[in-house]
Amino acid sequence: MGRLRFVEEIWLLTGRSLKVTLREPWAVVPNIAISLFFLFVYNAGLSGIALLPAFGGIPYLAFILPVALVSGSVGGAGAAGQALIRDIESRYFTKLRLTPVSRTALVMAPMLSGMIQLVVQTVLILLVALLLGLKLPGGLAAAIGVVLLAAGWGLGFAGYAVAAALRSRSGRSAQAATFLFFPLLFLSDTFVPLSLIKADWMRVAARINPTTYVFDAMRTLLAHGVVVTPVLRGLAAIVALAVITLGFAVYTAQRTLRQA
Amino acid sequence: MTKDLAVAAQRLCKRYDDGKEALSGIDFAVKEGEIYGLLGANGAGKSTAVQILTTLLLPTAGSAKVFGHDVVRDQQAVRRAIGVALQDTGVDPLLTGFEALELQGRLYGVSQGGARQRARELSELLQLEEFARRRIANYSGGIRRRLDLAMGLVHRPRLLFLDEPTTGLDPLSRNAIWDFVRTVRKESGTTVFLTTQYLEEADSLCDRIAILRRGVVVAEDTPSRLKRHMRRDVIELEPEDPAQIDELLATVRRLHPDAMQEKEAVRAFVSHGADAARELLDAADRAEISLSGLRVSPPTLDDVFLEITREDDAQHLERGAN
Repeated sequence: MGRLRFVEEIWLLTGRSLKVTLREPWAVVPNIAISLFFLFVYNAGLSGIALLPAFGGIPYLAFILPVALVSGSVGGAGAAGQALIRDIESRYFTKLRLTPVSRTALVMAPMLSGMIQLVVQTVLILLVALLLGLKLPGGLAAAIGVVLLAAGWGLGFAGYAVAAALRSRSGRSAQAATFLFFPLLFLSDTFVPLSLIKADWMRVAARINPTTYVFDAMRTLLAHGVVVTPVLRGLAAIVALAVITLGFAVYTAQRTLRQA
Repeated sequence: MTKDLAVAAQRLCKRYDDGKEALSGIDFAVKEGEIYGLLGANGAGKSTAVQILTTLLLPTAGSAKVFGHDVVRDQQAVRRAIGVALQDTGVDPLLTGFEALELQGRLYGVSQGGARQRARELSELLQLEEFARRRIANYSGGIRRRLDLAMGLVHRPRLLFLDEPTTGLDPLSRNAIWDFVRTVRKESGTTVFLTTQYLEEADSLCDRIAILRRGVVVAEDTPSRLKRHMRRDVIELEPEDPAQIDELLATVRRLHPDAMQEKEAVRAFVSHGADAARELLDAADRAEISLSGLRVSPPTLDDVFLEITREDDAQHLERGAN
C-alpha cells in the first residue's frame, strides 16, 4: 500500500467530483442559461450602439460576449463552492478528512472540477456566438486565449467561493458571499466603452475593478486577435486575484480543517 | 512502553469555544488486539473523545497517541493506521456503494485493482452485493451503516474506530454487526475502539470498557470485574397490587435506604442476597403487602452503570450545595 502523490490525489478526487456532477446535470444548466441570456438579450437589444465611434468598429457581439463568459465563469466558480457545501452537508467531507489525503488536495479538487466544467461551458458559449455571426480574426489562438482567460478568472473566484464555503459551512451563506460578483461584473465597462461612461465615480470604479482588464483582454482577442499588452494586463489581473483567493482558500482550509 | 499500545490518552481535555467542557482530563489505554468500549450516556463526551483520537478535533490539553503517533503532531500517520466508522459522517449519495468503497481504498494508496478486489470482498462479507451497484441515496439506515463499516476497513487498518455502531438499529442488524466486529478482530487481529450507550453492547462485545460520565472516566475494567467489583446482589420485589408500590418502596427503604422503584418493582442493592430476602419478606409481611414476585440476582452491567452514575450524581449535588 503506497502513499499517494499529490497529483494522484487531485486526479481521484476531481474525477469523483466530475462524475457526480454529470449525474446531476440539471444543476449546471441555469448557469449556462444565464450566460446565453446575456449574450442573446444584450446583443439583440443593444447591438445598434456599436455604430458609435467610441466602439472603434468592434461589433457589439464581440463586445458583449466577454460579459456572458465572465458571468458564466463566476457562476461556474460558485458551483465549485456549492460542490464543497454539498459534501460538507452530506458529511462525506468529514469522511474524506479522515483519510490521509493532503488537505490542499481536498479543497483543490472541487475547484479543478469546477474549472473543467467552466472550460466546457465557455467553449459552448463561444460556439453559440459563432453561430450568431461572431467573426474571429485572431483564429483558434484567440479562441483558446479567451477560454483560458475565462477559466483563470473562474479559478480566482473558485478560491473565494471555496473559502466562503469552508467558513460558513452552509449553502445559504456561501450563496450570499457570491453577491460580490455583482459589483465586480457591473461596475466596469460592461455594456459600453469607458469613454461613454459619464459618471466619474463609475469610471474610477471601473479602472480599479480587475474585471475591466479581463473584459479588455477578451475583447481585444475577439476583435483583433492576440495583441500582447491588453492580454498581459488581463492576465495580470487574473493572477493577482487568483493568488489572493487561492491563498485565502488554502489558509482557511488549513485552519478550519484542523479545528472543526 | 506506549509503543505497544493501540491508543494511549493522557489527561485529555476538550473545552469548546462556548466554554463547555466536554472532556475533563481523561486517561485510558487500549492494548493492541482488544475490543475496547467507551460507555456513556448522550453528552458524556464519547464522540468528542473519538473525534480527537481520529484527528478531526484538536484537544485543548493533554495528549493522545495512536500506535505511538501523536494525534496532533503526526496526524497523517494516525490517519493511515486507523479505519473509522463515525456516526456523523456520510457518503456522497450520488455515488454507488461500490464506487465509494473503491475510491476510499484508492485514497489510502491501494491500487485500482486492489481497491476493486477489496470492495468486492467487503461487499460480500457485509452482504452488500445486491446494493453495491445502486446509489447510496437509496440505501436504508442499516445498509448505510454496513457500508460505513466496510469503508472503514478497505485499507485493512490496525485499529478500527466505531462510534455508536448499532444506535437505532433493529436487534437483528445489531447482532449482525456484533458478529462482524468479532470476526474482524479474530481474523485480522484488528484492534477495535467503540463507543456505545448500550450496556448490553459493551458487555457482550468488549474485552474492557471505560465508563465515561460528564467528561470523566469513572471506571475502567473488564465487564466481569466491574460487575464483581460491586460485590453486591440485586434484589427485586414486586407487589401483587401495583397500587401498593409506594408503600413497598417505603418499607424496603427503611432497611435499604438506596432502594428505588423500577417500573412495577422495587429494587435494592444488598450485600448478601439470601439474608436480605428473608428480612425483606418479613418486613413486607408486617406491612401487609403481598408480593407477586421476588428475584435475587448478581449485578448486571446496568447496575454497575446505575450505581456509578448515582454516586457521581450524589457527589455532584454535594459539590453544588457547598
